[in-house]
Amino acid sequence: MAAETVSKGFGLGRPGSRGSLGVIWSVFRARIKIITRYKGAVLLESIIPVVFAGLPILLGSAVAGSEQAAAANFFSYTGTTCPSALPSDCATLFRLYMLMGSNTFMIVSLMLWLIGYWVRREQETGTLEALYLAPAKRLYILAGVTSYTLVRSLLAFVTATVLGSIVFQVNPLSGLFGAAIAYLVLGIPALWGISFFFGALVMRIKEANSVIQLLQWVLAFAMGVYFPVTVFPLLLRWTAMAFPPTLMNDAIRSTLLGITSIYGPWYVVLGLMLMAAWTVPLLGYQFFGLVERRVRRDQGVGQF
Amino acid sequence: MPAPIIKVEDLSKTFLSKERKKGAGRKKKPVHALKAVNLDVKDGEVFGLLGPNGAGKTTLIKILTTLLLPTSGTAWVNGYNITKEEDEVRASIGCMLMGDRGLYWKLTGRENLDYFGALYHVPKADRTKKIEELIALLKLGDFIDRTVETYSSGQRMIVAFAKSLVNDAPILFLDEPTVTMDVPTARELRRIVREMNDAGKTILYTTHLMHEAEELCDRVAIIDHGEIIALGTPEELKQSLGHEDVVSLEGIFPESTVVRLRAVPGIREVAVTAGDSGRSKLDVMVENSRAMLPRIIEAVTGNGATIEQIKPKEITLEDVFVAKTGRTLAVDTRVVGEKAVSGRGG
Ligand SMILES: Nc1ncnc2c1ncn2[C@@H]1O[C@H](COP(=O)(O)OP(=O)(O)O)[C@@H](O)[C@H]1O
Ligand SMILES: [Mg+2]
Repeated sequence: MAAETVSKGFGLGRPGSRGSLGVIWSVFRARIKIITRYKGAVLLESIIPVVFAGLPILLGSAVAGSEQAAAANFFSYTGTTCPSALPSDCATLFRLYMLMGSNTFMIVSLMLWLIGYWVRREQETGTLEALYLAPAKRLYILAGVTSYTLVRSLLAFVTATVLGSIVFQVNPLSGLFGAAIAYLVLGIPALWGISFFFGALVMRIKEANSVIQLLQWVLAFAMGVYFPVTVFPLLLRWTAMAFPPTLMNDAIRSTLLGITSIYGPWYVVLGLMLMAAWTVPLLGYQFFGLVERRVRRDQGVGQF
Repeated sequence: MPAPIIKVEDLSKTFLSKERKKGAGRKKKPVHALKAVNLDVKDGEVFGLLGPNGAGKTTLIKILTTLLLPTSGTAWVNGYNITKEEDEVRASIGCMLMGDRGLYWKLTGRENLDYFGALYHVPKADRTKKIEELIALLKLGDFIDRTVETYSSGQRMIVAFAKSLVNDAPILFLDEPTVTMDVPTARELRRIVREMNDAGKTILYTTHLMHEAEELCDRVAIIDHGEIIALGTPEELKQSLGHEDVVSLEGIFPESTVVRLRAVPGIREVAVTAGDSGRSKLDVMVENSRAMLPRIIEAVTGNGATIEQIKPKEITLEDVFVAKTGRTLAVDTRVVGEKAVSGRGG
């Protein structure tokens, strides 16, 4: 009995790929279980971008007198050419532009904020400390969490797109839908990278709400949810353009709407996207490790 | 002699925390939570870390469990270095560090155990079996399949304890595990800790309750203000007081009583524990209680004091602490400065 009870501890040797996959899966499954036990959260989340897209459409129409006039103003002011000669087509594109902008914005913000809230929540409940007590590698735990944020954001994206298409009477399947989705997928690793930065920030300053509230606006502004960032003054414009979500947003919209990207021809856009997809996650992960080490040196991860 | 399973070498930890006092500006104030601590824990023993609140027990445990990096010095757990082989250290230990915290409230107890089992790379089949074992051992059956949010704090505590056993590690770190438990549950937990130890696990157990340390531990280190001030088996520690006796007085005593007592030749140390409604308890350490009793009574009376009870006491680990520090274990030393110092007199 005794010899059997005193094992040398499980996983003292390096865990095999099964063990590591087991970590990812367990973390992912736990997150999904937890969120589904908060009723209605996912549905509510999906309605937000529809409202978000509705605002500028209504506002634009109100200021310009009619939606078609609003669309015409929009295209001429922002320097994006409406690819159609028909004003009613342009109005539809205008709506689709807003809808896709706010949907993409929602994916980006959900993926960032969910990580932020995750870190903060785990800090408060003491489970972050419990995670650090376990031998599972940070990489696999983060992989589990980001799989969850991805699934949750994509679900919300799909719901919002379907809802929005009905409400605004636009067809997102027109144009190069497949290519736009490809850009969406290609943009995700960079979002992971940024979410690592953000998670680390929350871990360090032990606050999520106020940071999220502030960054929400910065993000919406920089990403050009309602307008191409070309309307910014030069310096601001370059800063905004260097921000991966702006690139992703523009790539998706320009492809879907058949308008020219502010970044240039498609191969430039693709090249930039590929570059962001592998550099940003690496940088973000490094940064997370760095902050984590600092926290462990100062107060410990359990301090909240 | 076999190599120690936990070896601590000159371990120090200094926290820098911001002073938020008026006029203090934004200066960072250092708190020396651990001062060059050296320790060896032998394979298979229950090692107790006894000290008042704020002594540095949790800090030491956090460093040994890789949650916190030391300012200087180092340590080995199960032969692995705590800063260079973190994952191996983590895989070697089971921990219960923050009472009933560290569980997911929206998951059931069973789901929590399964989740943490996976994080310790316990294969699914072993995990399921182990969890069943723990449910039987700790009598969790009634509530294990409810979400943790519905638990009483005692139930959360016991599940947190189960969590520390789920990876079946050879070393257990328990940081004041009984602190919010009722008496019978605490007794039951200590019984199980003993059982785990009989089965071969090494246990590092911290507490500020001398009776726990005395009852449970093979060896005890008494820690105060970040320093180990005594170390040995409970027997050895008590014998180190030599021929000293303790006389315990209960009643209402004016402040000058302590000063007067200390001035009496033959009285080694006086410790005060405040009770309710002006009552307090004085532990007076003397060389020979029989001979000294009249003189103690003389020093206390005629001073407005009311003695309600007076009795010679058997020496406990608490008295060892009193002899070394002039304070009782009940004093909170987290408040550095005035309060801790005044704890000496009352
Ligand atoms: N994160 C921290 N920042 C600043 N001081 C701390 C921190 N954690 C603990 N301390 C201080 O270190 C000392 C030891 O604390 P701790 O190890 O928690 O004591 P114990 O567990 O024995 O009650 C105390 O004075 C405490 O105030
Ligand atoms: Mg403590």
